[in-house]
Amino acid sequence: MKRPVRVGAGEKLVLTANRLLDGTIVWRDRLGRWRPVIGAAEKLDAERVGDVLELAQIRAQEDGVVGVYEVAVRDVDPPEPVTVRERIRAHGPTVHPEFAVETVQ
Amino acid sequence: MSVPVGHYQYDQIDRDFLEARIAEFSEQVARRIDGSLSEDEFKPLRLMNGLYLQLHAYMLRIAIPYGTIDSKQMRMFAHIARHYDRDYGHFTTRQNIQFNWIKLEETPDILRDLATVDMHAIQTSGNCIRNVTSDEFAGAAADELVDPRVHAEILRQWSTLHPEFTFLPRKFKIAISGSPHDRVAARFHDIGILARPGDDGRTVFRIFVGGGLGRTPIIGQEIFDSVPEERLLATLEAIVRVYNAHGRRDNIYKARIKILVQALGIDAYREAVEAELAQMDLEHYRLTPEMVDAIQARFAVPELSAPENAAQELANRQRENPEFDLWVRSNTHPHREAGHIIAVVSLKPAGGIPGDATSAQMDRLADLADEYSFGELRITHLQNIVLGHVRQDRLYDLWSSLKEVDLASANIGLIGDIVACPGLDYCALANARSIPIAQKLGARFGDASLQAEIGALRINISGCINACGHHHAGHIGLLGVDKRGEEFFQITLGGRAENGASIGTILGPALPEDDTVDAIARLVDRYLGIRKDGETFLDTLDRLGDAPFKEAAYETV
Repeated sequence: MKRPVRVGAGEKLVLTANRLLDGTIVWRDRLGRWRPVIGAAEKLDAERVGDVLELAQIRAQEDGVVGVYEVAVRDVDPPEPVTVRERIRAHGPTVHPEFAVETVQ
Repeated sequence: MSVPVGHYQYDQIDRDFLEARIAEFSEQVARRIDGSLSEDEFKPLRLMNGLYLQLHAYMLRIAIPYGTIDSKQMRMFAHIARHYDRDYGHFTTRQNIQFNWIKLEETPDILRDLATVDMHAIQTSGNCIRNVTSDEFAGAAADELVDPRVHAEILRQWSTLHPEFTFLPRKFKIAISGSPHDRVAARFHDIGILARPGDDGRTVFRIFVGGGLGRTPIIGQEIFDSVPEERLLATLEAIVRVYNAHGRRDNIYKARIKILVQALGIDAYREAVEAELAQMDLEHYRLTPEMVDAIQARFAVPELSAPENAAQELANRQRENPEFDLWVRSNTHPHREAGHIIAVVSLKPAGGIPGDATSAQMDRLADLADEYSFGELRITHLQNIVLGHVRQDRLYDLWSSLKEVDLASANIGLIGDIVACPGLDYCALANARSIPIAQKLGARFGDASLQAEIGALRINISGCINACGHHHAGHIGLLGVDKRGEEFFQITLGGRAENGASIGTILGPALPEDDTVDAIARLVDRYLGIRKDGETFLDTLDRLGDAPFKEAAYETV
């Protein structure tokens, strides 16, 4: 079983997944829609994330996403992931600037 | 249909099988999309067809058996890059190609396109026998004893969809060479095979078992010195059966054959294999000369002929053009046939991404293969491309054409010829990025004259302990590690994959990326200052140990 993500001071959690059809990285907004920019993601407190995550995982097939999990972010706008891995997911590969992903719409 | 030079010509049975397999996978994809299959159910099915879900998208890994393709197949890679991906592909350390931006719904179409040139992505993932790798100079090198590709093809056919070996404890990698100079890292494979001519004219095989890199790097040990050709398949079958029966399935980190060989000891493992052989129907597995010859007949042999003055023409061009001369010195290898030469095309431009090629470059390489090397190309496990049969008097023209598409870096075997895995920019398993530090090092040492002065020095970079960049085998190895969410790099020195294989030893504490680049630069400076005439980096390291290099690397830390 996956260990819960640790949340430090000044940090929140957001939910992410890959789109089933093309693998595009998506972030869950406050209306439960999966959006391709992290700036649209709903920031959640650690206490609330469990219920939202469970619901999102149940709805994953219906929503056309795969591999739903939570990511720790700094509580800024747009949210900035804490780890290098998630920063690369949010911004795109660092070695192809032309593939950079917008973080706000 | 003409038989291709360098690889096996499929027959209708092969093509019918591929068609059926693609139809099956198309249905599985459709069922995944409509929800009939969950991701947990679908994952092993897509992996069996080479489809991973990585950080940003699906990744498709396509098998290149023994690293050899023809120009039509290379053009198909260019087509896939252009139409289904983002206009480039990545050649890997297992002689395969990966596309990083694949859409699930388009995968059946890609596989159909691939099948038109007799290619697929089967067994490029999963706990099965993976793509069999071989010597990039096979059938061409002056130092070769046996062309290993016919036996590599036999192993491909034996291992493809082998009913007993579809669910091994873990993945299984085989490499085969026919040269006294190990160019396949035979001792770092689950099974490494060195072929040589036997007294009766048929091939015999020296077999190593239990080698590997990854979390637990181990050098393979010799299990048999002289397996006759007719016993090759029976012997391999028995080796893999023993592993399949006794390999650990309870712990993924202890599941590779290397752990079993270490646990039993090589003598006990050999006894177990011999016991297995004793109860096998050896006649069933006998590889007859007729079978080998039938496979051989499906490979075309290049008709080599060159003008008598070809070598002199090449020498003249080298005298006239120092830049060309530098490239010839680093990027060619002696051919078995007078008037010919093997050319290695570097996929490591200074500051570039190791192993990447654009669709335009792939198309151009296909054209150049047609023009200069019988339409044949080889992908090396060091992420470069080989044109195996170039006439010496035409080498200058080839080099001039390569320059036009930024493929004429003169750095093969030198410090700019960096091997790197995709790392955290793409890979879901990685802890750190491999490519940016490779680009910085490539740019730092990009000057061809400087590289020539430094001499033979190989850097290998892996973004995690799985070691896809073979860092343990690098003369200088870099392993990316995660320290509290930041990327650091551990430096190892003294690894080598060729004859006298050894595992690099850790130099000291891991450093941040930019500090690592500076440390490597100081380390190389120290080498240039202390080497004796004619000494390579490894020679100096062997003579003095790592103390002077450690002092240089960490002097400002």
